[in-house]
Amino acid sequence: MDEEIVDFALEYARSKKVEYAEVRAHSQVQDGLMLRNGVVEAVVSAVDSGFCVRLIAGGGIGFASTNKWTKEEARAIVNLASKHARAANRKEKLVFAEEKSVKTRWAVAQKKKVENISLEERTSTLAEVSKALSSSKVKIAATTSSCSTNLITKYFVNSEGSRISSYVPRLGAYVFITVAEQGKTEQAYEQFGYSGGWEAFSKWKIPEKMVHDAKVLRAVITKAKTMKPGNMDLVCGSEVTGIAAHESCGHPMEADRILGREMSQAGRSFIYKGGQYWIGTRIGSKAVTVVDDPTIENSYGFYEYDDEGVKARRRFMYKEGVINEFLHNRESAAKLGVKSNGSSRSINYDREAIVRMANTFVPPGEFTEEELIEDVKNGVYMKSFTEWNIDDKRFNQRYVGREAYLIENGELKYPVARPVIETTTLKFWTAVDAVSRKVEFDAATCGKGDPEQGVPVYTGGPCLRLRKVFVK
Amino acid sequence: MMDVLGKTEEIVKKAKALGADEVIAKTTYGKYRQVRFSNNQVDIIVAWNDYSTDIALAWKKRLVATQIHRFDEADASIKRLMKLAKVSEENPTFGGFAKGSFRYAKSRADKKLKTLEKPAEYVSEAVEAAEKEAGCKVDSGGILFTKFEDVYLASSEGPVGVDSRSAIELSIRAFSEREASGHGVECRSTLKDFKPARAGAKAGEIAKLARNPRIGDEGTYDVIFDPLIFGSLLGVWGGMASAYSVLVQQSIFVGKLGKMVAPEMVTLKDNPAAYSMSNKVFDDEGTPTKENVFINRGVLKTYLHNASTAKMFKTKTTANAGLVYPTPWNIEMGAGSTSKDELFKGVKKGLYLTNTWYTRFQNSAKGDFSTIPRDGIFMVERGEIKRSLKDLRVSDNVLAMLGNVAEVSKERQHVHWWGFEADLPSLAPYVLIKNVHITKSK
Repeated sequence: MDEEIVDFALEYARSKKVEYAEVRAHSQVQDGLMLRNGVVEAVVSAVDSGFCVRLIAGGGIGFASTNKWTKEEARAIVNLASKHARAANRKEKLVFAEEKSVKTRWAVAQKKKVENISLEERTSTLAEVSKALSSSKVKIAATTSSCSTNLITKYFVNSEGSRISSYVPRLGAYVFITVAEQGKTEQAYEQFGYSGGWEAFSKWKIPEKMVHDAKVLRAVITKAKTMKPGNMDLVCGSEVTGIAAHESCGHPMEADRILGREMSQAGRSFIYKGGQYWIGTRIGSKAVTVVDDPTIENSYGFYEYDDEGVKARRRFMYKEGVINEFLHNRESAAKLGVKSNGSSRSINYDREAIVRMANTFVPPGEFTEEELIEDVKNGVYMKSFTEWNIDDKRFNQRYVGREAYLIENGELKYPVARPVIETTTLKFWTAVDAVSRKVEFDAATCGKGDPEQGVPVYTGGPCLRLRKVFVK
Repeated sequence: MMDVLGKTEEIVKKAKALGADEVIAKTTYGKYRQVRFSNNQVDIIVAWNDYSTDIALAWKKRLVATQIHRFDEADASIKRLMKLAKVSEENPTFGGFAKGSFRYAKSRADKKLKTLEKPAEYVSEAVEAAEKEAGCKVDSGGILFTKFEDVYLASSEGPVGVDSRSAIELSIRAFSEREASGHGVECRSTLKDFKPARAGAKAGEIAKLARNPRIGDEGTYDVIFDPLIFGSLLGVWGGMASAYSVLVQQSIFVGKLGKMVAPEMVTLKDNPAAYSMSNKVFDDEGTPTKENVFINRGVLKTYLHNASTAKMFKTKTTANAGLVYPTPWNIEMGAGSTSKDELFKGVKKGLYLTNTWYTRFQNSAKGDFSTIPRDGIFMVERGEIKRSLKDLRVSDNVLAMLGNVAEVSKERQHVHWWGFEADLPSLAPYVLIKNVHITKSK
């Protein structure tokens, strides 16, 4: 990464009589390893480095990027961005919400440096997953696994005087297994993510987790009973809590979606000005609070400053059941007359920064998991999920249980096969009457934007108890 | 151009000299442009230039790959790759890269798509067409995307080639009311016959019909799928034809070679033909691309292969090599014998779905999945659209749906829809499927 070329591009952009300009450089040192049934399929190693210019001119936004590090190319992309901004020819001129300029450096430390981990060690670590599965005595039809390390250096400057350098090592792993018993199959997929060093692998405990999943899938095939559909209580495990928090709170609270900027692809939101839901409207019970927080140390979605140079902080999106705060970048904040809350993220130098979640979760409540279950006469404990989706206004959602148990008179009785909750955002969060204490996180890749930008996030929370919801 | 090919070939020679058994280098100079618009105004115009060389090499059945962005990085990168290969483990199933010398079809890429002048005017054309067709004020959003790539490929196994690949897409969603919208797309490989107004008019037409939707009912319906939604599903289902998906059990086609998986009227092909947004004359191993019929008159005939998976399955490559895994390029469904109008007339009571998103599986080997229709959802009675519905979900099984295909239209459209799970263009007809399970929130 050549900071001199970045600074040159900013100075050149300033000379173009623009209202605002920024230059953002990303360099990513990526190493990946893919295994099929414990055998190395491929090793991938690459460095991706480039920079982009985003500017406002004539009330329009232009963006151009390149991975050619020359001053000539810098001039060319500034010219292109400037031409494109003016060509937008908008009636309503765009501005960004005000921000103080920031000069800082921030970095995520590694306890065990990724750079010192040999390919042999990476391979043997990942291969432990297949070895553990082989010795589990569960019939595994196929396993695919991969791990990746990505050392991300960024340099951000803007025409308001901000200058921010950052360094984040980000680790990810994926495992997909198919269990085949009695001529039937069941599948599970797990994703792991961390910002930090190789110590992530000892925290993740992937082999243990996948053996657990394999045994669960075997039980689904051999022991699980199908549900009798009806209204009943539902206890959601942290994985289910997390996906619901992400899909039916995080996404609809993205201000660009609320304002319609994602109307075509990722969609709009059930929340909109003049509609039934807005800041201050009740969307859940008093037990429901959902936050998004990029500042959780070592989390997959960690950052100190967003990709517009705004300081990150915790956002209370649903607070005690009430719609409280949207996620903003500087563009959406200006439109709604507020300040950005540091939610602008881009996956690489060739993508514009848009409003994104970081780590979305339900904070801890006051009960134990056992207490939630003890108080259920008839219900289901959905500990994890397989299929899920939600409509593009983020109101109608569906979660299908992977590990799930029938609850009778406060006790877990037997595994149930693929219980389904298909309900609305309002019904889901209104039905919550109790929240447990222990918060757990899962890594995920959140998709949005066109071209798609998959950003690393955590989803999570404690267990939730929902009263009288329809489960089938 | 030849200078870039020469430098790409040089990488292959250097890697061979360092001891690699087989090497492929593919250089892509890409220019991509996009206009994003919403609420009838341009939000941002984006341009990204990408200069990259993908290098894959094999040494004693160890496969390693990298990407570089400058030719002066090549020496260091090859040395690093060779080091990685030597400490990597053998993949006994690696069968080598494609071999041979080939003559390739001439690329028909459109050079005008290198720098499209006044791209925002195409957007205006689509927005105006949407409003005109809807007959009222609409809120439109979407993208105009253009691509121009020069691709240079060299392989130690013989193939050497140059290709240019272009594409243009206009995708527009128009809202006539808060919960009434339609979506239209116009996809081409060149500017010839590219008519953004066609996409706008389709979006506007559906948006008009979609007004005053009411929540639909759960049940089992005969469903007419518009080319846009069916193309999206074909993108997901076509991905399951990749031999790699089969090897890792993420395919409904595991163990079904030679078996009936659909009625005779269903023929599915992969074909990165000249018209397609994913046009290409060779794959990432340098094998000339071609039409591959993988379901012929309902029978699963082949998986989609690169040279290595072809060897495992004792067949020939289908020219579907990506850098590491085989991948489909453009799924085509064979045209039926019924017109779209006749297909509608044949439905006494059913649904017409126009678009979808968020397709997810419970089990991709079994094919149990759900997807959420969006934009126009309509009740059809005696071939006529009777009312607009909303908030429904298709919750079914891929094999069951393929098995229940009852009619396929003559008319087909080249479509591409957004999303992680369906980012594959296709040539899709209107399709009638019987007994589709529809669910909703309770």
